[in-house]
Amino acid sequence: MTDCIKNPAGDHMEDRILFIGMPLLVANIAMAIWGIGYRHLHAAGAYLPAILFALMGVAFIVIFGLYLKEEQDEFQRDLWVQALLWGIGATLTIITFWGSLVEFELAKGLKLLFVFPLFMLITCIARLVLRLRYR
Amino acid sequence: MFCTSNRPEERRFVRACWMSAALVTPLVLGAAAAFRFYHLHGIAAYIVAVLPTIPILWVLVELGRFLAVEKDEFQRNILIQCVLGGTGGTLATTTIWGYLEDFAHAPHLDLIWVYPIFWLFVVVSYPVVRMRYR
Repeated sequence: MTDCIKNPAGDHMEDRILFIGMPLLVANIAMAIWGIGYRHLHAAGAYLPAILFALMGVAFIVIFGLYLKEEQDEFQRDLWVQALLWGIGATLTIITFWGSLVEFELAKGLKLLFVFPLFMLITCIARLVLRLRYR
Repeated sequence: MFCTSNRPEERRFVRACWMSAALVTPLVLGAAAAFRFYHLHGIAAYIVAVLPTIPILWVLVELGRFLAVEKDEFQRNILIQCVLGGTGGTLATTTIWGYLEDFAHAPHLDLIWVYPIFWLFVVVSYPVVRMRYR
């Protein structure tokens, strides 16, 4: 409760993750389990599950954008911004290197779906390193 | 974006962007020619394949350096917001397209396009961010 009062932006983000992100995640998992067999769908029928799956990723991006907008603690926001900048920089570096290797048939193609988890992983690592730096 | 600026940090960043753009084309053509005529293998093939990406990534390094040395907080904040806009747009596009590829058999988008998509969204974000501060 005290933490919620101290950081309303963080509290709003938690609420949005809990009431928007998590239901979408559960829906994604349910669809993934059920959806093993729906790769046979064609045309418009196939676009709906694809968009529903993608909604979760987009929702997390929007939730995080809103958090950055609402965060009053400049230090916390700066930490996240730095982590995000490292995340996008490293992700683009890896993707561009990999893409170039794929173009010359030296590596297997990486699915576009992995760009987002890769970015999240690098951002989380960067955030941990930055927190250690400012201890 | 910063072409008219007299500030050395901005001029250095713009110069890096132009030099990178000038270097990429000959390096890509050179790498393609090397693969076509010399049938490269092993470590040499990997080195030649990633060579055209070096100037591209140099721009990212220069962007990071520019953000670190920029003294005008307002300008830095605008650029950061544009980069974050670019990040969000890129991640949303790749996620949606990735699922469309998987489920709706949409045409395959090569990974090499992620970087131009990112800059496209950064450029699109710029007027939007500027308008907010008018």
